[in-house]
Amino acid sequence: MNFFKIFKNGIVKDNPIFVQLIGMCSVLAVSATVVNSFAMGLSVLAVLVASNFVVSMLRNLIPSKIRIPAFIVVIATFVTIIEMFMQAYAPAIFDALGIFLPLIVVNCAILARAEAFAYKNPVLPSIIDGLGTGIGFTLGITALGAVRELLGSGSLVGINLFPESFQPIGLFVLPPGAFIALGILIALFNVGMKKKEKQELFKADMK
Amino acid sequence: MQGNTTNPNTKGSLDDKMLIVSSSPHLRSDESTRKIMLDVVIAMIPAMIGAIYFFGINAIKLIVLAVLSSVVFEYIIQKIFKRDPTIDDFSAVVTGMLIAFNIPANAPWWIPIIASMFAIVIVKQFFGGIGQNFMNPALAARAFLSASWPVIMSNYPLPGPDAITGATPLSIMKYGGGELPTMMDMFLGNIGGSLGETSALLLIIGGLYLIIRKVIDWKTPIIFIGTTAIMLMILGVGTSELPYHIFGGGLILGAFYMITDYSSTPITPWGKVVVAIGAGMLTAIIRIKGAFPEGVSYAILLMNVSGPLIEKFTGPKIFGRSK
Amino acid sequence: MKETLKLGVILLIITVVSAGVLAVSNDLTKDRIDEIKIAKSLAALEEIFGQGYEFETLSEKEQEEISDDATIVEIVEAYKDDTIAGYAIKTKTSGYGGDLVVLTGISQIEGQILGMKLLEHKETKGIGTKATQPEYEEEFQGIDVDEEATEAITGATVTSTGVLEGVNIARELYKEKLVD
Repeated sequence: MNFFKIFKNGIVKDNPIFVQLIGMCSVLAVSATVVNSFAMGLSVLAVLVASNFVVSMLRNLIPSKIRIPAFIVVIATFVTIIEMFMQAYAPAIFDALGIFLPLIVVNCAILARAEAFAYKNPVLPSIIDGLGTGIGFTLGITALGAVRELLGSGSLVGINLFPESFQPIGLFVLPPGAFIALGILIALFNVGMKKKEKQELFKADMK
Repeated sequence: MQGNTTNPNTKGSLDDKMLIVSSSPHLRSDESTRKIMLDVVIAMIPAMIGAIYFFGINAIKLIVLAVLSSVVFEYIIQKIFKRDPTIDDFSAVVTGMLIAFNIPANAPWWIPIIASMFAIVIVKQFFGGIGQNFMNPALAARAFLSASWPVIMSNYPLPGPDAITGATPLSIMKYGGGELPTMMDMFLGNIGGSLGETSALLLIIGGLYLIIRKVIDWKTPIIFIGTTAIMLMILGVGTSELPYHIFGGGLILGAFYMITDYSSTPITPWGKVVVAIGAGMLTAIIRIKGAFPEGVSYAILLMNVSGPLIEKFTGPKIFGRSK
Repeated sequence: MKETLKLGVILLIITVVSAGVLAVSNDLTKDRIDEIKIAKSLAALEEIFGQGYEFETLSEKEQEEISDDATIVEIVEAYKDDTIAGYAIKTKTSGYGGDLVVLTGISQIEGQILGMKLLEHKETKGIGTKATQPEYEEEFQGIDVDEEATEAITGATVTSTGVLEGVNIARELYKEKLVD
């Protein structure tokens, strides 16, 4: 098992947002600012690692017929724990994430990794897969958040970057803008990946 | 070559295209597209002159900026995508003019530029270029502007050199705030509104030209305007207010120039009728029951989006095919 | 049958463990969460009434006895020195982009509206958000309880209509049910 490959896959080749296109509701709904996007990303990362860990540990004890309900209970438990602690210690972000925090339970990315990887692999690789996918998700959603906040509010991390008279493109903090910005980012990401693939093949031919 | 319906850039003969009864995306040679687009430009000239007459130098500035940036953006993005440049088919010019017609005369200089970029790059070229857009690009740009800069897009100046803002006839009817202008003003265009939508007279002249030149089908605008009027009456608008609804807002502009865009509406004859009726009903409903004083742009966009579905149900029956 | 039983037991174990973990987390965070909720409502109430008051929110049952109008979200009694000095009524009405939650403070002693605060909204920035400006909020101070509030915002008709609806519902409720 190549641990580094597992980790890297989650970020690049199987990036949940740009390649697999899963977990999109949270991505589109919460990414109007960098701070909210990053918070959502970290929450998903935490749940991913925790759920992959537990599912992998219990993989021989959970019969296949009831694996889906079992996964959901595990995931929901961790999400609820995060919700409670966030509400108590970071109420501003809790309010900002709103209903999308509990919706992490049905974030396809987490369910998919539990089913496709953690249920079939030992604990350590599962944790690494969770880390890689979670970081890939966080990077993706934060990138989208940066684009949307910059174009839609003229700020980054809440700091205004433009003079008072600048009127940002309001559409980008609204849902249609999220779709458009995400579409463009997915296109750019995949173009970049194709170029890299071609380069690697070229290098391989050259050897 | 059979594959020419999927590659929008090969040039073919005009006769072949006239015989094809298929749905969008269509293929046209540059020449036939250009002929149609030039006719549309000519049809818009009266309204353009009216815009300059009523709104002065601001009109010239905005129209020039919109047209220029549309053409430039189309050239640039086609270069980036490595497609053959098609700016000589004048479709970008038409989009630019329509964008200008949809913005208020007191809009800042960057509005037409960003609107053109959105219309040409995102709505048109991202989806495949001429013939492939699923929404009217200029109208989509108007919706984009309204969502992004609602304050700029809801302050319309009254005609005159000083660009003093005032309530448009539609907003007076919905929210109050002034006296309605005279019917003559409404007809000629001496009222508040976006650059190209105010003069019913000049727009209708252009519309008649388009019908005579067979660029658009006369049924579409008549059914659209007629359905709007009937629906408005059903929703309780009195006969004294009805003419203000017809001549005010973007109804005439939309009926002759927007809803008739080839690629975003069904090709089937009944499909066109359904779209016109649907847009008419939606316009009336949004104007009376919705939160906005004007509903034409959203009505048309919603019908654009339902286009493929409508086409599916209004297509010709194909005989001789086993189920 | 035996297999179903086994599956059921395993699920039971998983859910029991999960419930246990959640119960512990709840205990650890409950107090802090309640503190935060109270502090939030308190901030808005203090802005309207000022310092030196104690606030008590009516329970759902008490509220239902007074009115079953669905737009009334909460009724709060304001006490100064153990006597009722006024009421704060929270309403939910329709705005332009979504619901509007309006808090209206009414003084029993003077029979006037003490203030209005728009707590939650989804209004358009620059247009409907004018309703959150202090200048607009101040317009509501001093309105007599028997007068209908009509303060509108030009250019943000739908938003201000929603706010006014909330304020007037609060005012009417006070007049009919809460005045001594």
